[in-house]
Amino acid sequence: MLKSYLPALVFLALGAGTGAAFTALNSVLGPRRPSKVKSDPYECGLPSEVTSSFRFGISFYLIAMLFILFDIEVIFLYPVAVGLKQFGTFALVETIVFIVLLFVAFVFVWRRGALEWR
Amino acid sequence: MIGAVHSQLGPFHAPHVDWKGMSPLLSVLGGSAAVLIAGLFPGRRTQRVVVPVLAIAALIAAIGLTVWIWEPGGVRPIVAGALSVDTLALGVSVLFYVAGIATILLSLRSAVVRECGAGEYASLLLGSIGGMVLLAGAQNLVTIFIGLELLSIPLYILCGSRVRQEHSLEAGLKYLIVGSVGSATLLYGLALLYGATGSTSLSVIGHAVGTRVPLDDPLVLTGVALAATGLAFKASIAPFHTWTPDVYQGAPTPVTTFMAVATKAAAFAILLRLFDEGLISDRTNWGPALAALAVASIVIGNAGAIGQRSMKRLLAWSGVAQAGYILAGVVVGTRLGIQTSAFYLAIYLPMNVAAFAVVIARMRVSERGDDMAALEGLGRSSPWLAWPMTIAMLALAGFPATAGFIGKFYLIDATVAGGYAWLGVAIVIGSMISLVYYLRVIAVMWMSPSEVEVPAPAPARASPSRRVRSVAGWSPEADVRAQPEVAFVAIACAAATVFFGIVPEPLLHLAREVGSAISSAL
Amino acid sequence: MGIAWFLALSAFIFCIGAGGVITRRNPLVILLCLELMLNAGNLALLSFSRMVGNRDGQVFALIVMVVAACEVVVGLGLIVAMYRRRLPIDVDEVSELRG
Repeated sequence: MLKSYLPALVFLALGAGTGAAFTALNSVLGPRRPSKVKSDPYECGLPSEVTSSFRFGISFYLIAMLFILFDIEVIFLYPVAVGLKQFGTFALVETIVFIVLLFVAFVFVWRRGALEWR
Repeated sequence: MIGAVHSQLGPFHAPHVDWKGMSPLLSVLGGSAAVLIAGLFPGRRTQRVVVPVLAIAALIAAIGLTVWIWEPGGVRPIVAGALSVDTLALGVSVLFYVAGIATILLSLRSAVVRECGAGEYASLLLGSIGGMVLLAGAQNLVTIFIGLELLSIPLYILCGSRVRQEHSLEAGLKYLIVGSVGSATLLYGLALLYGATGSTSLSVIGHAVGTRVPLDDPLVLTGVALAATGLAFKASIAPFHTWTPDVYQGAPTPVTTFMAVATKAAAFAILLRLFDEGLISDRTNWGPALAALAVASIVIGNAGAIGQRSMKRLLAWSGVAQAGYILAGVVVGTRLGIQTSAFYLAIYLPMNVAAFAVVIARMRVSERGDDMAALEGLGRSSPWLAWPMTIAMLALAGFPATAGFIGKFYLIDATVAGGYAWLGVAIVIGSMISLVYYLRVIAVMWMSPSEVEVPAPAPARASPSRRVRSVAGWSPEADVRAQPEVAFVAIACAAATVFFGIVPEPLLHLAREVGSAISSAL
Repeated sequence: MGIAWFLALSAFIFCIGAGGVITRRNPLVILLCLELMLNAGNLALLSFSRMVGNRDGQVFALIVMVVAACEVVVGLGLIVAMYRRRLPIDVDEVSELRG
C-alpha cells in the first residue's frame, strides 16, 4: 500500500529539493542590487501603485512573447511522456533533436540580447 | 484518461526514415539554423558576405541533392506516412531553391538586411523554403498544415521586416491576419476531411472517398470547400486575393519577389497534391467550383491591373490573373493538366523575377520608387535593365518566342483536352486584356523621354538607406554597375525566359516527369 | 452525447471567430478571434478523433496549438513594433495601403 505512494513522495522530495537548491544558489551566486521598488512588500518589477495612464514597458511584452514560445514547445514532450516505454529509443532521439533545435533558438535569443531588461 | 491512452497504445514501430530522400530538406533547414547563429557574430563581413554565402551554399547544396535523388515515376516515402519524395515534390522544390537564391542576391544591398539583420533575414527565408519543401512532399493532412505554417509564419515576419517603415509593418500585420484566416479555414476543412474518412493520410482519404465514404458526403463536401478556400488565400486566387496588392506593395521588394514566385508555386503544388491526387475521385464536385474561381481570378486580376501606376501593385494584380491561368491546369485534373501547371510554374519564376529585379534596381536610384514613372526612358538610359523588363512583360502577356507563350499554349491545350474548353477561352480573353497594362509598361520605358536628366543620386525624400553609393560623374549606366547582382538576376531570368520560349523541350521533358508523379490522374 | 453537439459547438466557435476577424478593429482582438477559429478546428479534430477511434486527430490538435501560439507571437511582435513606431493601432486606420 505504502509502496504505491512512493513515486509521489519521491516527486515531492525532488520538487522541494530543486526549489531549495535554486533559492540557495540564487542567494549565493546572484548579484544583489537592492532598490526601492525591489524591497516593496509586493514585488513584481513594477511600481505597485499604478495610475490609469500607466503603460507596461516594452520589455514585458518581449519577455512574455518569448515565454509563450518556449513554454508551448513543451507540449511536444507530453505525447512522448505518455508512452515513453513503447516509443523507445526513436522517441528519445527525436526529443533530443527537438531540444537541440530549441537550444539553437535559445542561444539566438540570448546572444541578440532579447533577455536583457531595458 | 492517461491510463486509458496507455492501455490503447499498441506496440510502437518507429517510422522508417529515408535520410537520403530527406537530404535537401535537411540542407535547407540546417542552413537556416546555421545562418541564424552565423548572423550573431558581429562585423560587417559576417553580415554582408558570410551569411549570404552560407545561405546560397545551403540552397545550391539542396539543388544538387535534389538532382542526385531525382528519379522519375516512383513515389518514395521518406518519412513513412508523412512525407514522400516524387518528381512533383522535387521539381517544384527546385523552383523554391532558385527563387531563394534570386531573393538573397536581390537583397544583398537592400535596406531590409540592414534593418532586421542578415542572419535573421536569411534564416527566415530558408525556414520558409523548408516549409515549402515540406508542403510539396506532404502525404498527410498534418504535414500539409505544418508545411503551410512553416512557410507562412517566416513570411509574415519578412513582410514586416523593415521595422522602421510603416508600410512594411502594416503589410506584415495584414498578411498575418489574412494568412491566419486562411490557415484556420484550411485547418477546419482538413478536420472535416479527417472526420469523414477517419484518416489523415492523403492516400487513405483518396481511396475512401467514393468507396467507403459517398462522394456527396456533407463532411467531405464542406471539408473540400473550406480547404480550397484556405489554399486560395495563400495562392491569392480571387475572390480571396484582396490582401495581395497591399501586401506586395508594403513588403520589402525582394520579399515580394519571393512571395510572388515561391509561395505561389508552393500553394499550387499542394493544390495539385490535394485535389488531383487525394480528392481526384471527387472531381465532379470540386471541378466546377475551382473553374469558377479560375475565371474569377482571370477577370478580376486583369481588370485590377489596368489602372495601376505602382509596379508592385501591377505585378500583384497580374499575379492574381496568372494564378487563375495556373488554376485552370489544376481544374482539368488530367496528367496533361498537371504537366502544364508545373511547366507554367517553372516559367512563371524567371518572368516575374526579371520584372521585380528591374523594379528593385529602379527603386534604389529613382525618387519615384516603384511608380511606373521611375521606368520612364529606361530604354535609352539603361537598356540592360529595360530589355529584361520588356522581355518579362511580353512573356507575362504570352507573346510568341517567350516562355510565356509556350506555357499559355499548353495550358489552353490541356483545358480543351480535359473538357474545359471554355476555361481555355477565358485564358485567351484574359491574355488579351492583359496586353493593355503589360504593353503600357513597355511603352513607358521606350517611348517617353528619359527620367534621368538630373543626376540626383541622393534624392531628398529618400531615406539614407535607400541611396545607392553615389558615383562621381553619375551616368545612367552606373546603376547597372553599382548593383551588378540585381542586373545579373534580371538578365539571367530574361535570358531563361527567351531560351525556354525558343527551346522549351528540356523543360517540357521535366514537366512530363513531374506529371508522371501523380499516378491517379486521368 | 453525440458527436453532432461537439461539431455544432465547434462550428459555432469558428463562426464567432470569423465574424470577429471581419468586424473588429483592434488587432489584439483580431488575434483573439484567430485563436478562436484555430481552436474551433482543434475541437473538431478532437471530437472526430474520439468518433473514429484513432489518435491522429489528437496529435494534429497538439501541433495546431503550437502553431497557433507561434502565429500569435508573431502578431504581437508586429503590433509591439508598430506601437513603438507610434503607428495607429487600429486596422481601419492602418490604411496607407489601400485599394
